[in-house]
Amino acid sequence: MNGVHDLGGMDGLGPVIAEQNEPVFHDEWEKRMMGMFVSCFAGGHYNVDEFRHAIERMDPAHYLETSYYEHWLTSLETLLTEKGVVTQAELDERKKHIAMEES
Amino acid sequence: MPLLTTDIVPGLLSTGASARIDEDIAAKFSIGDAVEIRNIHPVHHTRLPRYVRGKKGTVDRDHGVFAFPDTSAHGNGETPQHVYSVKFSFQELWGEDHSDNMFLYIDMFDDYMRATS
Repeated sequence: MNGVHDLGGMDGLGPVIAEQNEPVFHDEWEKRMMGMFVSCFAGGHYNVDEFRHAIERMDPAHYLETSYYEHWLTSLETLLTEKGVVTQAELDERKKHIAMEES
Repeated sequence: MPLLTTDIVPGLLSTGASARIDEDIAAKFSIGDAVEIRNIHPVHHTRLPRYVRGKKGTVDRDHGVFAFPDTSAHGNGETPQHVYSVKFSFQELWGEDHSDNMFLYIDMFDDYMRATS
């Protein structure tokens, strides 16, 4: 797929900035993301290639604007809804609940 | 449904869920072979970047046998095959303005390549 993920050879994206003493996770939710990825993988919901492809299928603007673990989250949502493990309505409901808790 | 148990976590994390396959599959290419990368534009998943398509390189290392992402991503089987580190000159990839002593090594599956002279 000739998608936006295939960045090799592209100009104008600026320098690659290496973070000094980069932590494994930048936020609590990223830890949970790692946990969900590993448990859903072990649960047989996808293989690594399906997971990568679901990242490539992200909306191009969303892909460029979001972090590594947000790519993971989007891929997980895509695959779990496509495979019928969760419904979009369930995801939306849960997100509403989390937003209410935070407000 | 299989469950995630603590004994499988270290392996999963240390190998990154490796796609290596323990099967004795014949390699189509040998180290030192001149190869041309197929100019294909599949609409499905591929690990073949646009910038090497149609380019000529040399097989530098044979990594062994792995699942083929182009089929594995779509439930079409693992299609086990060899993966090689292939060496390309910068001049071949990025044009004649580059110096002739710069090279890029990239991993390529058997099905991405054809023999050339």
